[in-house]
Amino acid sequence: MEKLIEILEEIQPEVDYSACTDLVDGHYLDSLSILSLVADLEDAFDITIPTVEIIPDNFNSADSLWKMILRLQEEG
Amino acid sequence: MFHFQSYFSVQYLVFLLPITVILYAFLPQKARRVVLLVSSYLFFWAISGKLIVYLLFSTLSIHHIGLWLSRIQTDEEQRLQVTVKEQRKEIKACFLKKQRMVMAFAVILHIGILLTLKYTPFFASNVNTLFDFLHIGISVKIPSFLLPIGISFYTLQAVSYLFDVYRRKIPADQNLFRLALFMGFFPQIMEGPICRYSDTAHQLWEAPSIKWQNLTFGIQRILFGVMKKMVIADRLNLLIQNVFGKPQSYDGFVIMIVMVCYTIQLYMDFSGTMDLVIGSAQIFGVKLPENFQRPFFSRTISEFWKRWHITLGTWFKDYIFYPLSMSKPLKKLTARARKKVGNHFGPLLSGAIALFCVWVCNGLWHGAGWHYLFFGMYHFGLILCGNIVEPFVVRATGKLKIQRDSGWYRGMQIVRTGILVCVGELFFRAEGLRLGLDMFKKMFTNFTLTTLHDGKLFSFGMDRYDFLIVFVALIVIFMVSIWQEKGISLRAQIAAKPIALRYAVYYTLILAIVIFGAYGAGYVPVDPIYASF
Repeated sequence: MEKLIEILEEIQPEVDYSACTDLVDGHYLDSLSILSLVADLEDAFDITIPTVEIIPDNFNSADSLWKMILRLQEEG
Repeated sequence: MFHFQSYFSVQYLVFLLPITVILYAFLPQKARRVVLLVSSYLFFWAISGKLIVYLLFSTLSIHHIGLWLSRIQTDEEQRLQVTVKEQRKEIKACFLKKQRMVMAFAVILHIGILLTLKYTPFFASNVNTLFDFLHIGISVKIPSFLLPIGISFYTLQAVSYLFDVYRRKIPADQNLFRLALFMGFFPQIMEGPICRYSDTAHQLWEAPSIKWQNLTFGIQRILFGVMKKMVIADRLNLLIQNVFGKPQSYDGFVIMIVMVCYTIQLYMDFSGTMDLVIGSAQIFGVKLPENFQRPFFSRTISEFWKRWHITLGTWFKDYIFYPLSMSKPLKKLTARARKKVGNHFGPLLSGAIALFCVWVCNGLWHGAGWHYLFFGMYHFGLILCGNIVEPFVVRATGKLKIQRDSGWYRGMQIVRTGILVCVGELFFRAEGLRLGLDMFKKMFTNFTLTTLHDGKLFSFGMDRYDFLIVFVALIVIFMVSIWQEKGISLRAQIAAKPIALRYAVYYTLILAIVIFGAYGAGYVPVDPIYASF
C-alpha cells in the first residue's frame, strides 16, 4: 500500500489519499494522469491492467486501487 | 396513423406516453414489458416506417453475436480447466484471436451500416470535388439514403453491449426481448442518453409497478424540459434561423448575439429533451443516466465535456480513448516519454494520439460535414493546449500568489470556457465551414452597435418582449442550476412542502409554458437538433 501511495503522490501530490474517495469523480485524476498511473502500477506490481478495469469504482480511492492490484495479482 | 416529429409533439405527450403509462399501470408485470416494447416499436415505426428493419436487424445481430462470443468464452474455460499451466497462455491467445475476429466482424457490420447510410453522400461529394480540382472528367453519383431515427445512438449502444460481453463485463443475454427493449426503449431511442446494457436492460425488464413519487417526479421533470424547450429554445429559433440562413446581411454584433443565442438554444433543446426523456423513464421506475451536469459552470473545456453529453463522452472514453492509449505501442510510447519528459508531458503524446481519434469521431458523429470535423478539431486543440499549458499556469499563478480557488479566478475561468464553447457552436451551426469562418471574422472586422442603438436588433426574429422572456427564464434556470450544483434536490424540497404550495409551483410551471411558450402563428419550433445526428 505504501508503494501505491508513493506512486499516487508522485502523479498528483495535492491529494490526501488516506481520505479521498472521489479521485476520478472529483476530477483529481484526469485521463492523462490515469495513463501515467496505469503504466506505473503495471511496472511496480507486475500486473497487466486491462481497459475494462479502468472504471471510477477501481480508481476513486487508494483503497479501491489496492484491492484491484491484489485481485489482478491473484488472477495472474 | 400517428406522425411523431419530436418528444414535444402532442402525439407523444398527449397520446403515446399517457396511454402507455395507463396500460402499464393496470397490467401485470409480464404484460408491462410487452407494453413497453410495443410502444417502442410503434414510436419508431411512426417516425421511420419500414426503416425499423435496421433496428430489428441490429437487435437480432447483437443477440446472435453476443451468444457467439459467449460460446467461445465457455469453450475457452472448459479447455483451460483440463490444460496444464504451461500451455494455458497459448490457449488463451488462440481463443482471444477467435473473439477478436468475431468482434471485428461485429464492429464492421454495425459501424459499416452507420457509415454507409450517414457518410456515403459526404464522401461521394468530396470525391467529386477532388476530381473537379484535378480536372478529371469523372463524377461519382451522389447516393441518398433515408436514415432510421436514432441510428447514431442505438448503434453505439449495440457496439457497447458487444464490447462489454467480449470484455466479460456482462454475460451475453439469452433473452432476445430484453435486448430488444434495451435497444429500442421509446423515450431514449431518438436522442439518447446512450445507455449501457448493465445500467438499463435489467431495470427495463423488471418493469416495476408505477410508484406515486416516480410518477410525480417524472411529470415535474417533463414539465421542466418542456419549459426549457418551448419558452427558450423555440423562442430563439426565428432569430437564429434568420441570421444563420443569411449571415451576409448582418453585422458582427448581431452575429455575436446569435452565436450566444444558438449555444443557449442547443443547451435548452438538448437538455430539455433529456429532462423529458429521463422524466418519462422515471414514471416507469427506470433510472436513465444523466447527460448533462450544469456544463456552463465548467472551468475548463475538458471539464465542459465531462458535463455536456456525458454518455457520448464516456462512450468515446471507454471504447476509443482507453483501448487506444492502453494499446501496447502507445503504452510503450508513454513509458519512454515519461522517462524523458516527466509525469505530466510523458503521457501527453500517446494521450494526444488517442484524443485526436476521439475528436475526429466526435466531430463526424454529429454529422457528415467539414464544419463538424472542424468543431471536433477545435475542441481537440483546446483540450490539448489546456493540458500543455496547465503546469505553466500553476507555476505562474503560484508566483503571482493567485488563489486558483478564489471566486474571481473561478468566475474568470467559467466565462472564458463559456466564450470558447460559444465560438465552437458558431462553426457547429454554420451552414458550412466557409460561412462559419466568415461569420467568425465578421465579429472582429464588422463590429458595430448600430443595430442596438436604432433598435433594429429587435426586428430580426425576436422583439424586446421575446428577449425579456428568455432572460427571465434563463434566470430561473440559473437559480435551479445553482441549487443542483450545491447538491440540493429541488423536487424533493418541493415534495416536502404543504400541498397548497406544491400545487402552486406545478400550476405556475404549467402556466409559464402556456403563457410564455413560443408556439402558434409567428413562431417556428426548433426541430429536435440531436435527433438528426
